[in-house]
Amino acid sequence: MLTQELLVRMCRARAALLDLDADVTVASLAQASRLSRSQFIARYRAAFGDTPHQTRIRARLERAKWLLATTRLTVTDICMAVGCSSLGSFSSLFRLRSGESPAQFKARFSELDQSQRAASVAPDCLSLMAAAWTQSDFSRSAEPDEPLESAS
Amino acid sequence: MLRIKLYSIFVDDQAKALRFYTDVLGFMKSQDIPVGGGFRWLTVRAADGGDTELSLEPNVNPAARAYQQALLAQGIPVTAFEVDDLQAEFERLRRADVEFTKPPTQMGPVSIAIFVDTCGNLIQLYQRQRS
Repeated sequence: MLTQELLVRMCRARAALLDLDADVTVASLAQASRLSRSQFIARYRAAFGDTPHQTRIRARLERAKWLLATTRLTVTDICMAVGCSSLGSFSSLFRLRSGESPAQFKARFSELDQSQRAASVAPDCLSLMAAAWTQSDFSRSAEPDEPLESAS
Repeated sequence: MLRIKLYSIFVDDQAKALRFYTDVLGFMKSQDIPVGGGFRWLTVRAADGGDTELSLEPNVNPAARAYQQALLAQGIPVTAFEVDDLQAEFERLRRADVEFTKPPTQMGPVSIAIFVDTCGNLIQLYQRQRS
């Protein structure tokens, strides 16, 4: 059972991992949660579905998407800004998770105005529904695993 | 008449959320429409054929994330699902390594339990007392 106290400590650990300005290690987070390293990783994963390392990677990619879409920084600058030291591994990870390279992602946003850019990187329920509505018969229920056309 | 057919829940990762909500919780995928930027209009519904849809909505908006994180740290479940046999669901989900913050507990006319959904939310399960 996850006690309220442990839940709060896990939430603090997750917030620190999502905050790229916070310089944290798994060892320091485990210590702050008063768990061994292996216990910490196991409990964290059960609560959040990711390892602490995976949470940090996701935060880096989200931040990179935001910077690519809304600033004029270069891909190399953004790679460094989100704490990745290798441009090659950053680009291949980005491509793996987003289906396109950082440069391709950035290029798609260059013709949008600022508010359109923000809405595309941080969509909400209504914008997702609107986007889905404009490209398919929304009232239809998709068959599970039925291939669907891409939005692009 | 106003009907409730669609409800949304913030998730930190849509692919991870879909796996948990289908493979672990047992909902069926309903709508899955890519809308660009790696995001999807993604909904699930109950396996018994109910037509109320739950949208798994990305929490990338900082306001959504702050709201979700604060509720989680305070132990507040915003979303509740009804079950027929709370004890059986509790045991099934425990076997799947789901972390509960409250085991099955009688609360007046219902019994409830609360778990973490791996996407940043607490979810309450409740069973009505049989009459």
